[in-house]
Amino acid sequence: MELLKPLPGKHRWPALLVWALGWLAMFALDGRVDLANLSMLLVMSAALASLWQPVPASMLSSLLAVMAFNWCFVPPRGSFAVDLRSHALLLGSMLLLSWISSILLARLRWQALVAQRHAAQAEALRRLADRLRDAAQPAEQAPLLVEALQPLSAGPVQLLCLLDQLPARNDDAAALLLGAPDADAHDGLWACLRAGQAFGPGTGRYEELPAWYLPMRGRQASHGAVRIALPGTVDTGQREQAQALSDLMGQALERRVAERSTQRAHDEAEGQATRNALLAAISHDYRTPLATILGAASALQEQGDKLSAAQRRRLVETVMDETRSLSRFTDNTLQLARLDAPGVQLKLDWESAEELVGAVLRRVRQRRALEAEDGPKLRARLEPELPLLRCDALLLTQLLENLVDNALKYAGSSGIEILVRRERVEHPQGRPASGPPPEGAKETWGGPAFPCDQLVLAVRDRGPGVPPAWRQRIFEVFQRGQELDRQRPDAAPARGAGVGLAACRAIARAHGGEMRYRARSHGGSSFECWLPVAEQPT
Amino acid sequence: MNMRVLLIEDDKELRATLRDALQVEGYAVQTAASLCESRALLQHDQAPDLVLLDLGLPDGDGEQLLAELRRSKGTPVLVISARHQDGSKVRLLDAGADDYLVKPFSIGELLARMRVALRHRGTLLKPAITRYERDGLEVDLAAHKVVLNGGEQHLTPTEFKLLARLVRSAGQVVTHRALLADVWGPEFTEHTQYLRLYMGQLRAKLEADPADPQRLLTEPGVGYRLVEGH
Repeated sequence: MELLKPLPGKHRWPALLVWALGWLAMFALDGRVDLANLSMLLVMSAALASLWQPVPASMLSSLLAVMAFNWCFVPPRGSFAVDLRSHALLLGSMLLLSWISSILLARLRWQALVAQRHAAQAEALRRLADRLRDAAQPAEQAPLLVEALQPLSAGPVQLLCLLDQLPARNDDAAALLLGAPDADAHDGLWACLRAGQAFGPGTGRYEELPAWYLPMRGRQASHGAVRIALPGTVDTGQREQAQALSDLMGQALERRVAERSTQRAHDEAEGQATRNALLAAISHDYRTPLATILGAASALQEQGDKLSAAQRRRLVETVMDETRSLSRFTDNTLQLARLDAPGVQLKLDWESAEELVGAVLRRVRQRRALEAEDGPKLRARLEPELPLLRCDALLLTQLLENLVDNALKYAGSSGIEILVRRERVEHPQGRPASGPPPEGAKETWGGPAFPCDQLVLAVRDRGPGVPPAWRQRIFEVFQRGQELDRQRPDAAPARGAGVGLAACRAIARAHGGEMRYRARSHGGSSFECWLPVAEQPT
Repeated sequence: MNMRVLLIEDDKELRATLRDALQVEGYAVQTAASLCESRALLQHDQAPDLVLLDLGLPDGDGEQLLAELRRSKGTPVLVISARHQDGSKVRLLDAGADDYLVKPFSIGELLARMRVALRHRGTLLKPAITRYERDGLEVDLAAHKVVLNGGEQHLTPTEFKLLARLVRSAGQVVTHRALLADVWGPEFTEHTQYLRLYMGQLRAKLEADPADPQRLLTEPGVGYRLVEGH
């Protein structure tokens, strides 16, 4: 019976004051008004006093007041004897009235208090829900819950919440612990999380515990638990409120787990799509050169005697060329797959652009008879005093070789040039020069907010160029210029360009740079790799 | 007396192809498919004049075998690596392998590398190379002289030390680490930037077009190679 309890934080002075004033008024009016009117004062005082008194006290004080009234004012005065029936009725009804009014008032007061408490609890829930929504990480959310629960707890609130899925064993690495629980509390929190049920007094489980253990329940499972030391005065409302607050946290954690697993599924699907595209491209791009190789080799095997020496040499050259291009294609495909994987480690070192370009020129010349009279011209121009690059030499040479190979393929008869220059970028479009982009920033990234130096490695030709429709997509994986194929001098489809350029972009981005295509003003293309210049070593 | 080559390669087809090609060139070829097998051969047979060692064998990557071979007789070892991105290749070169090839390679490349390795064979016993000459560049290490197209070139002491180190291994790759350790000292093996700087200076002095070098060749991610002298 809540009504019988004294009111929290209310003192009795107002009640005493009311009674004192009431009695003063009664003595003052004694003799000027009749007894019935005088008794109204008492009834009024009793009703007013009961505003500040618990029911038993106000009933007792009313009883005492009626008896005192009888003593003081009801004739014969100075005794409890009642001579007239009417007086007895008066006293009886006075007592009854004051009792009824005190009970009614107490009930009203109590309902107001309950409503107030409910409003406060609802407000606490709403505030926590809002704040949890604004905080993204469990590490930010958990302190908010502790703060909300603290008023309900006698000691520090202790909390455990899962960072991701529930581990098979109680592994603190998989969870966030706050409030430094001791061994008992630690085990209790894990047990409560696993059971998904509240422990402690009033829960029907482990009634003897000195604290409540409450799970943070989501819709499907629990995602954490809190331990609340029992407050001095316990009522059910507190535990329910604590549970409701914990459940809010549980739902927030559950949302996060769901979001993360959705993201994972999405990434996996995306990876699967990339892999499928990769496999499709591989099978497609392998078939043709393999057919060519087999054709040439079988011709040598079966018709070797009938062929002229020149024909035989041509066939052998075909086999070698095709094999080399397959080998490059394989390198690019592997590189794409490798750089696409998360957490790829580059072998970074200080490299000189001049050396990388020199190595590329040499390797391309070894592969093709570029020094032949009618062969395309291939030369390099480098600005003097270029800074050293912090990069993976093998990857950068692969990038340049791909670009030179493409230029030879699509603009074979024009002069091809490797140009390396330094650019000061005032409004950079590139990534911050601090390595790979953050996860999830695959397509959109903002450059650094400050001007920075970039090294531009460009491979330029005077070929037909890339049609505008293709320029956006040229570095996408497995896009290949079908239209370009038709523009080639010998009209044979060029292979592997898609994987090659995609590998270039993957390499550039792995270094915190970017690939760009620029159509040159007097015809031709410039494929440019922009790399951030790191602070030079001493 | 033919040169004896031990070919350690686990792929059957490639082993057969290489063996035939080498036999055509007049080498006596023994083959092994694993490190165990090659150890057995090395114990019971006369030592080969040269070893071709494929990395990524089923029973290890041959570092121990290399150590044994270098300790006993200074037999030249050529490493065959399956990938450019192969750290163990550089590790073996640093540990004393003479040169390397990356699959796929042509027979011509292989034969050229073998010729250089055999010429350098036993540098421990033979007097070291002190003269180098090729395409108008003459280097005389004893006289401390560098002549390019008839005119004497002045090199700084460090540049000369760097060139001298490459001359002693002319035709073979010298790893970054080896160059840094031999020219600057063992505590400088991580200071690649010195090497880039001085190689750039050497190219500027000795190459017609430093961006397209014909003498001082770069092997990205591995080291440098001075083209073989005549």
